[in-house]
Amino acid sequence: MIVPTVVPEFTVSIFIPALYVGLITGFIGLLGISFQKNDLSALILTDIVGVAMLVIVAAVGTDLAEALILPGLVVELAEIMAISEILMSREMRKTGNNASIFPLPFAMDMEIFSTAPNFLALILIAYGVFLTGFTGGAVAGGGILFYVIARRSRGLPIKVWEGIAGISGVAWCIWLAGFLIFFIAPELWLLGLFMSSCGILIKVASKMGLIGIMAREDLKRE
Amino acid sequence: MFDPQIWFYTGCALVVIGSIATVTGPGVKDPIVRILNTEIPAVGLSLIFLTYNHTIALLTYIAATTIITLILLRAVVRLEEMGAEL
Repeated sequence: MIVPTVVPEFTVSIFIPALYVGLITGFIGLLGISFQKNDLSALILTDIVGVAMLVIVAAVGTDLAEALILPGLVVELAEIMAISEILMSREMRKTGNNASIFPLPFAMDMEIFSTAPNFLALILIAYGVFLTGFTGGAVAGGGILFYVIARRSRGLPIKVWEGIAGISGVAWCIWLAGFLIFFIAPELWLLGLFMSSCGILIKVASKMGLIGIMAREDLKRE
Repeated sequence: MFDPQIWFYTGCALVVIGSIATVTGPGVKDPIVRILNTEIPAVGLSLIFLTYNHTIALLTYIAATTIITLILLRAVVRLEEMGAEL
């Protein structure tokens, strides 16, 4: 086995057991899916197959594994989200019944939704902008999401919706240009860093704001 | 305090036992029980990440597994609302 010298002895010693655990888990998960007649159960079992994949990737050890796990998680998340949407829309067509987009077990009329949104959203957005990057985008987006869900006014003009989507696309381009600067002009690394971090901040925050608008449209319907 | 291999092999055992429990555990006909069973391999995988010092991966995994549980529960609730047999 060819192993670089930077890999610690401990990681090498537990590579084989981790690999076997991953293979066994994946085998169990896939066997369960193949014997399953219920679609929803098969969807839940894909989660187990995802765990098996992550065990095998983690067994590589060092920073390489860490760099591979994060995209793996995103792919698993997107996959489960997409399959669950397909399952639900198919069932909706089959039975002809409709169901709310974000089912909630209780009515959303708590006092915090009328008193807190301005203050909390301001703090979250300020802190998110201070953080920048993906984490900052998530924090600021959480603030926007909370504000948009809690505010009473409803009915967003279609132009605003398209505008937010356009800003998100432009921010994505800034992120890409920032990355390009790292490669074509490495001496401008600070500019590239700020372009990519601020671009992803605006992108993630605006996307979460859009989710909030969708949720509000659905909640205020009844 | 302990040998790090303890955490690794505990994680491995939890992953394998948890996946068997999710596939053919008691009461997995109910999708809610099956979703709750998927948390066992998730904890095992977190212990494996911990032995390898994958800090950022561990934090992201905890966030992602929460979101996955929410998505699956939403799918169950919506399908039940539509009147599909689960």
